[in-house]
Amino acid sequence: MPKEDSVLIIGGGIAGIQASIDLANRGINVYLIEMAPYIGGVVAQLDKTFPTMNCCICILEPKMIECYRHPKITVYTLSEVTGVEGSKGNFKVKILERPRFVDISRCTMCGNCIEKCPVIVPNEFQAGFESRKAIYIPFPQAVPYAPSIDKGSCLHFREGSCRICEDTCPARAIKYEQSSKIVSLNVSSIIVATGFKQYNPEEMREYGYKRYDNVITSIEFERLVSPYGPTSGELVRPSDKKVAKRIAFVQCVGSRSHREGVGVPYCSGICCMYAAKEAVTIKEKYPESEPTIFYIDIKAFSRDFQNLINKARDEMGVEYIRGRPGEIRENPLTKDLYVWYENTDTGEIGRKEVDLAILSAAILSRSENTKLAEVLGVELDEFGFFKVEDPFLKPLETTRDGIYVCGCCHGPRDISNSVIEASAAAMKAAIGIQSEAAGSGG
Amino acid sequence: MKYAFYPGCTVQAEQFGYEASAREVLPRIGVELIDMKGTSCCGFPAFSSVYPSAWYYLSARNMAIAESLRLDLFPLCNGCHMSFVETKHYLEVNPGFKESINRDLKKEGLTYTGDVKIVHILEILHDIIGVETIEAFVKKPIKGLKFATHPGCHAIRSGSLNHTDDPENPQKLDDLMRALGANVMDYPEKTDCCGSSLAIASGKTTLMIAGEKLQSIKRYGFDGLVTVCPFCFKVFDNRQRAIQATMGDKSLEIPVFYYTQLLGLAMGLEPLKLGLELNLSSIDPIIEKILEG
Repeated sequence: MPKEDSVLIIGGGIAGIQASIDLANRGINVYLIEMAPYIGGVVAQLDKTFPTMNCCICILEPKMIECYRHPKITVYTLSEVTGVEGSKGNFKVKILERPRFVDISRCTMCGNCIEKCPVIVPNEFQAGFESRKAIYIPFPQAVPYAPSIDKGSCLHFREGSCRICEDTCPARAIKYEQSSKIVSLNVSSIIVATGFKQYNPEEMREYGYKRYDNVITSIEFERLVSPYGPTSGELVRPSDKKVAKRIAFVQCVGSRSHREGVGVPYCSGICCMYAAKEAVTIKEKYPESEPTIFYIDIKAFSRDFQNLINKARDEMGVEYIRGRPGEIRENPLTKDLYVWYENTDTGEIGRKEVDLAILSAAILSRSENTKLAEVLGVELDEFGFFKVEDPFLKPLETTRDGIYVCGCCHGPRDISNSVIEASAAAMKAAIGIQSEAAGSGG
Repeated sequence: MKYAFYPGCTVQAEQFGYEASAREVLPRIGVELIDMKGTSCCGFPAFSSVYPSAWYYLSARNMAIAESLRLDLFPLCNGCHMSFVETKHYLEVNPGFKESINRDLKKEGLTYTGDVKIVHILEILHDIIGVETIEAFVKKPIKGLKFATHPGCHAIRSGSLNHTDDPENPQKLDDLMRALGANVMDYPEKTDCCGSSLAIASGKTTLMIAGEKLQSIKRYGFDGLVTVCPFCFKVFDNRQRAIQATMGDKSLEIPVFYYTQLLGLAMGLEPLKLGLELNLSSIDPIIEKILEG
């Protein structure tokens, strides 16, 4: 029986993209499945890398384009895996591909449809700081570079009343009649790269997230300082659009929690470094600003990580206070915030007045993992991350032969490690195919 | 609705304004208050540090009396409320101890089963009667006045046991004030202590804690302070002159009310029936403003 030299990759974030490119460059067919209308994942939302302080989208954009245009890679957006049968070397996979309602091959990206669409909703990609239309591209560098219609907010689908985008499209690319498709694929192995979601700190009521305008999460902050973000990189705070000068970072929000029912007990691993990076970014852009990082302890374990912490603290003047804030309160008139804390180095209780507070919220597993794990026939750990066979001997192997993981879908890790793992997982998948090829040829 | 009414010693011994206004107002909005015969001290949470079993016993005894009336228990005082809620929980998780308490209660012909519900005035007004119903009783809306709300810590802590309101962001008293037409606004010190727990150990500290809170209330431009706790009222209102002296600020004047007093005024009741003459803070200008409408 002829074996398909194909690999299925689930998740179009930086890990999935990297694994796809590596396999495709090895001459192996890749099917890349992404749930969203666009690939890129969380990294597309981030401003800079640490410790190198490079622009994230500048690193990601060429990878996204290479991946999308690669002759050996087929990208399925708006898709999910609904069935997996067979075993290593011969998986039969079913994909549910939801309609985009835009024919990408016809679309010239003239933008008429977006301009004329009468629906305005918050743009999730911009953490809600900016609005979008019902037909939209979430950010200028999006891949595929063609709009998609968000059925949930589109008037045509909600009330049947509107056909404005269809009328206005000179390329006749709007296709309301598109429907979901089931795609069947044969693949030798599967790589899971579904990433993570950030903890919603609303349940830590003492920090006032969603209650106070000027308490935001670190991913929301990334959008605020991104040159491609809603404010073109101006660090203006939500309440009054004034540039924030006094900024507090609260570390371990939801991470390392021993409170029953609140947060997770593990360390999220990346927050110490991204907070240092974010504080340095602020200081570089606004030298007169006063960022303060409230931390339990600093985990700077990789090469050059400690240098960045030292630079932030000793050269850039970022204030580090050892202590986990007990409470954030808001001045109702100015919307300024008071961060209450105990400095555990000195034992003093303090109250710091700031313009903006950034919560370094924990990295959690995605809720979709439960269903996906069932479909794939693999196990999850107690926190909903994909379980690996053995952290040393089989660090990227799931509990089912031929299915591998990379990136944050099996626990928190930084971009660099996600990319390393992606290449490693691609290698594991390729080894399977080539050893079979060698076996059948002999 | 009918409740076994337990005013508590602070109310009955000195906070007559709270009892008077509660007895005047609550029956008019459908809350029937049944007095309990033979009650004792609630146990007083502070006892727990020296003689916990005495606390549990006294607390359970009152709850058993409510059970004998087949009514839910409505303590008017935040401290009593917490005492009952904590005892109820403790006896639930320690059935052996509950049994030994029941052995003692038997001598008086009482039994504590644990079926009794403890209700707080915020729950009665906000959750059971409802803000809309209260709104319908308002004849003289409290217009143009901005109140700082202070539910009091015993009403909302500990958060895991006591579900009267969100301990980090209590809003029910605010909703109830809005129902009377008043303006309310969150302020950073809203959930801060009134200081009264320290009154015996360090009276001056109490006054300083309360003073800082009153100063911030003044800073944010509130016209008055409203509470549902007799302990908090006692500090903020009764001790306001002493607070002024401690803070060295004669101008630190904040009119302080019980919610039941403001509810009564908004319902168009006579100030004299609401025990307002017993408030020691400078409430007269506010009353005039409310009466003028």
